[in-house]
Amino acid sequence: MNVATDMRDLSIAGLSVSGGAGPIVRDVTLSVRPGQPLTLLGESGSGKSLVAQAVMGSLPPGLTASGHIRLAGTDLLAAPAAVRRKGWGRTISLLPQEPWLALDPTMRIAGQVAEVHRFVHGRSAQESRLRAEENLAEVGLDRAGTLYPFQMSGGMCQRAAIAITHASDSALLIADEPTKGLDAALRDGVVERLKQEIAAGRLVFTITHDVAVAGALGGMIGVMLDGRLVDYGPAEEVLSAPTHPYTKALLAADPATWQRRVPTQAGAPVVTGRALAKAYGGRSLFEGLDIEVSAGEIVAVVGPSGCGKTTLGNILLGLAPAGSGTVERQGGVPPVRFQKLYQDPPAAFAPHQTIRRALADLVGLHGLSWGKAEALIARLRLGEHLLDRRPGEISGGELQRFALARGLLLDPVFLFADEATSRLDPVSQKEVVELLLEIVRDTGLAVLLVTHDGALADKIADRAVLLDRPAAWVSRRACDALTTGLAPCF
Amino acid sequence: MRRFLLARLAQAGLVALVVGTLSFALMRALPGDAAMRIAAGRYGPDAMTGQAADKVRLELGLDRPWPAQFLDWLETLARLDLGHSLVTGAPVIEELKVQLGASLWLAAAALLISLAIGPVAGVLAGLRPTGWADRLGLAASVSLRAVPPFVLGLVLILVFAIWLGWLPPAGFGTARDLVLPALTLALGLAAVSSRVTRDAVAAVARAPHFAFARHKGLPEAVVVRRHGLRNAAIPVVSYLGLQAIYLVEGVVVVESLFAYPGIGHALVHAIVERDIPMVQGTALAMGLIFVAVTACVDAASAWLDPRLRSAR
Repeated sequence: MNVATDMRDLSIAGLSVSGGAGPIVRDVTLSVRPGQPLTLLGESGSGKSLVAQAVMGSLPPGLTASGHIRLAGTDLLAAPAAVRRKGWGRTISLLPQEPWLALDPTMRIAGQVAEVHRFVHGRSAQESRLRAEENLAEVGLDRAGTLYPFQMSGGMCQRAAIAITHASDSALLIADEPTKGLDAALRDGVVERLKQEIAAGRLVFTITHDVAVAGALGGMIGVMLDGRLVDYGPAEEVLSAPTHPYTKALLAADPATWQRRVPTQAGAPVVTGRALAKAYGGRSLFEGLDIEVSAGEIVAVVGPSGCGKTTLGNILLGLAPAGSGTVERQGGVPPVRFQKLYQDPPAAFAPHQTIRRALADLVGLHGLSWGKAEALIARLRLGEHLLDRRPGEISGGELQRFALARGLLLDPVFLFADEATSRLDPVSQKEVVELLLEIVRDTGLAVLLVTHDGALADKIADRAVLLDRPAAWVSRRACDALTTGLAPCF
Repeated sequence: MRRFLLARLAQAGLVALVVGTLSFALMRALPGDAAMRIAAGRYGPDAMTGQAADKVRLELGLDRPWPAQFLDWLETLARLDLGHSLVTGAPVIEELKVQLGASLWLAAAALLISLAIGPVAGVLAGLRPTGWADRLGLAASVSLRAVPPFVLGLVLILVFAIWLGWLPPAGFGTARDLVLPALTLALGLAAVSSRVTRDAVAAVARAPHFAFARHKGLPEAVVVRRHGLRNAAIPVVSYLGLQAIYLVEGVVVVESLFAYPGIGHALVHAIVERDIPMVQGTALAMGLIFVAVTACVDAASAWLDPRLRSAR
């Protein structure tokens, strides 16, 4: 891959982003140099994405940026929108978050790479095709050009997106939450790729809420909170000696640094699965699996995405049939006391209904008292004022705590927490997990914790079931056949 | 592919059986003496006498018990023999050829005109939701859809045939005769297909892959052409299939209005005259068109959307 030889720094000085209600991002000053990448850390809503969008020139309508953003000597903010758009794919390229959504589902991968050569760089159709093949080969996808995105694993989609940025051959690469939705193995693969980009002399500017990603990339780290840059410095310094309280909280929220939970005395078995087997699309997910969750116990199911973790939980709950084997739930307990906490809180609430209404409906349906809901809300440290908002108007962490309250209203004996904290930022994750642990200790709730985060499982679970299968929507055989062996199949 | 065709053939057979049974049952359930009505249809209202009716009854075996008549019909249907019209005595298949042919011309003309209006207006509206094209399209769509086709047809006759005198108000034979009935149908179709297209385009324009196509640096026209239209076409094609079917049904009203001798016209007359073989023949032809259209739509959707191909 060639990178433009005329490389200069990206420097951001006094950047503010304002909307109708006033400034959202205030006075941010940062820089990116060749060999010295920049990673912005922060929770959703902290303004880190707005900084990236201001650099890209893709701020949502109604938001304006002020200050200076200089790339290769020109001030980007001074240029009109049409001129800035001309720079996309030429001087700046974007590595999108969740690339399996960012790739056109109806177009083969080779075509999606080739069109950058064809329509951005104005090359002939044949040359574009050949160059696209080279770009795909660079990321180990030289035999995947004829696949559609839905035929590829998440990791392959991520590599295809990187091939597209190679086709752009731009000096600056903005990676927007590049590890969102990826499990640990895939995450490490992406970080490796980004380090290769850095080594090749590209300016790399990454947005993430994953502290481990920031640490692995090195260079400079900025930490954003409420639209301000609260910490900024070389990666080792920020991570080893954080100055701002939020940075400290962020680092402490990493499950790897937590204290291991002391296992409690387990009670009677609540859910028992014997010799469970399940196949999906002709592929066996697990066979002969025995699992037992007792009162007061947390059992983790750990494994990469696509290995059947969620399916196992659903089988135990009775939401999905087992291929073979038996599931026994504690006798005399009604099915509604076996509850599930979903991965994506906004998807688990009706979007146009206030939280109060959602909880009141549940209280009414089951003939409970509103006082019980109020007590739970207080217990989960949620303010009364949040009740009159809609799910989209509160943070993911708050919404997940409401989801927990909603489940607890029904006095569950068993809770299946399906990646319940994986979409939360680390600080919110820690809050939700701590509350869950309190509930387990006080009520003897049995928890099945499905997660791809081995550290989290290690710290809080009494026992763990490891489901170790390749993360892929294609079978492992297809995945092996499509990669050259130069790169790990992630 | 083979499985796809076999499944569709089975579907067609099932449609034939259901249509045959239902239309036979429905015709039996109607009040009045069938022989009397057929006699009137055949020999004119003056011949509506008991004698003429008895003659018809005997000739056509209408006096036999109905299960015998029904089994007879199913047997001839299985031989792909649609029988003869009870009224004209001509083979039903010959009548269908003429009338279905005429209807298909009308339906095709209407669909083509609606395609030139609906999806185009929808794409313009969907690329800029709440822009002027979107608002204008919504207003036009609501007003056109609020008017029943026969009122819309009458308005068009008034304007283009009577006031302006550009086109004939009714008739059949030339392309000029086709314009007004086709336009009447097309405006109703475009009113809805434009909104369906608008929503599909707006949904694609919000999709992450559409944003990424822009961020890749592709010019806007290329983004729309390569990443917008194909994705937006997936729901629109399914909807257009429904419309094509609505068309074949909708022509019943519009053909009668414009005295256009198509299959809808034929169906109405066959029902009035209790011409059982004609009713069943036309209903069967419509049912089979339904199967053929859905098969075409599914094939087109699979061509547009690779995910459907792999699911099969």
